[in-house]
Amino acid sequence: MVERCYVPKSLEEALSIRKETGAHPLAGGSDLMVQYKQGLGITPVFPFPVMIISSLDDLKGIETLEDGSILIRALSTPAEIASFEGMPYPVRCAASRMGAVALRNTATIGGNLGNASPKGDLPQPLILLDATVVLKSQDGEREMKVDDFILGSKKTALADDEIIYAVRIPRVEYTHVYYRKIGTRRANAISKLSLSALARVEDGVVVDFRAASGAAGPKVIRSHETEDILKGHGVDEMDSLMPAVLEGWNNAISPHAMPEYRRATTRRMLEHFLSSIAAHQEGGIIE
Amino acid sequence: MIEFTLNGRSVRFEGNPLTRLIDVIRDDLGLTGTKEGCGEGECGACSVLRNGKLVTSCIIPVGSVAGDEIVTIEGLRDTDQGRCLVDAFAEAGAVQCGFCIPGMVMAAQALLLTNSHPDEEDVRMAISGNICRCTGYDLIVDAVLLASRKGEGLW
Ligand SMILES: Cc1cc2nc3c(=O)[nH]c(=O)nc-3n(C[C@H](O)[C@H](O)[C@H](O)COP(=O)(O)OP(=O)(O)OC[C@H]3O[C@@H](n4cnc5c(N)ncnc54)[C@H](O)[C@@H]3O)c2cc1C
Ligand code: FES
Ligand code: FES
Repeated sequence: MVERCYVPKSLEEALSIRKETGAHPLAGGSDLMVQYKQGLGITPVFPFPVMIISSLDDLKGIETLEDGSILIRALSTPAEIASFEGMPYPVRCAASRMGAVALRNTATIGGNLGNASPKGDLPQPLILLDATVVLKSQDGEREMKVDDFILGSKKTALADDEIIYAVRIPRVEYTHVYYRKIGTRRANAISKLSLSALARVEDGVVVDFRAASGAAGPKVIRSHETEDILKGHGVDEMDSLMPAVLEGWNNAISPHAMPEYRRATTRRMLEHFLSSIAAHQEGGIIE
Repeated sequence: MIEFTLNGRSVRFEGNPLTRLIDVIRDDLGLTGTKEGCGEGECGACSVLRNGKLVTSCIIPVGSVAGDEIVTIEGLRDTDQGRCLVDAFAEAGAVQCGFCIPGMVMAAQALLLTNSHPDEEDVRMAISGNICRCTGYDLIVDAVLLASRKGEGLW
């Protein structure tokens, strides 16, 4: 059993340890400490070297950048994310409903993406907003869409010498927005479904429309083809376009990912959002 | 070596940084007011404050709290706020077997630090991660509301 644990004092030191030893970062520990727990009163044992990055100031803090995008550094907690002024509604909703109070002060966004569990709550709204993840290594930095970073259940594109530095949410304008999560984690995790959606309607025309579905399969589902069906069309065409959108959305979800009743629930949530756009042209949060 | 503050005193820990904070608190420092229920972050029995915020000490390695200020029930109990909370729990009859109470008091303190006049819904939300097998929660909610009334000006 490997029993190595590092506590780097700076980001540079962390990157060098990561490169030399491949140690897995431990941020909040809320996944790792539970997954490798040995029992009450006993120190968890890990099958790989670990480095505790929880105290690295370079990985803390959230800020709005000049281009209007929001940079959320890796150690940001759900509580910090939910209370940040200007955080897009679906991200704020997802963060504020994770676990209970203590978990929201412990879990981190870096850990939520690093763990890449289909049950994780943050990837879904981040993918809706085309958020990117900023990865750092000793050799530099790269940035990719969260949607491309998460390869599947518990699989990510993180290289052996990289750590997640931050998540960046581009500025996205919307007039209508929706977030809904059904089922709790403590109950059967499999029963959890979530959907977020947004639209931008200008002068009666749908300029942007997106939807993302979480816990529906190994990955968050978005369907760009389906989204395109609506774009550029008038809100008054909604009723006639809705069947094609819902059908496209249904086809985007693999039948293996979801039994029929769960697809039906997702479809109903989307239908509710779309008909609300037609009904409330002035926009807002769709409940 | 990990250095942090516990109940206002500085602590140096020389062992494995992956040692759970709860084990350092209970075994190394001998403060047994913090309880362990589930060991998985689900029950809140092991709740402590880290830099004024509620966390569950069973899923946090001690290496994560370097430089932080930790407060346990022993540290809170001897303050005016702590005494007010403990008295309110007794007065409201909110303590049965008592196992969940240290965690409940820490959760109540975390709430009152940010919201000195919570309503019932705020209190239920604040203790939603703390499991009590005896009281059915209503008496605990009453106790926290009582503390916020009686402790006017303390938070
Ligand atoms: C009681 C409880 C309730 C929970 N409820 C929810 C919930 O409602 N919703 C939800 O989504 N999750 C929930 N979780 C799961 C967990 O809290 C989240 O996945 C959390 O975001 C993980 O973050 P962490 O920093 O604690 O992870 P850690 O355990 O520290 O790390 C998790 C993984 O990510 C990697 N990692 C962490 N940081 C980085 C980084 N900067 N760069 C590269 N890799 C990194 C680690 O190596 C590890 O593989 C819950 C967990 C518990 C114990
Ligand atoms: S013992 Fe820590 S939350 Fe249950
Ligand atoms: S009083 Fe017994 S668990 Fe709460």
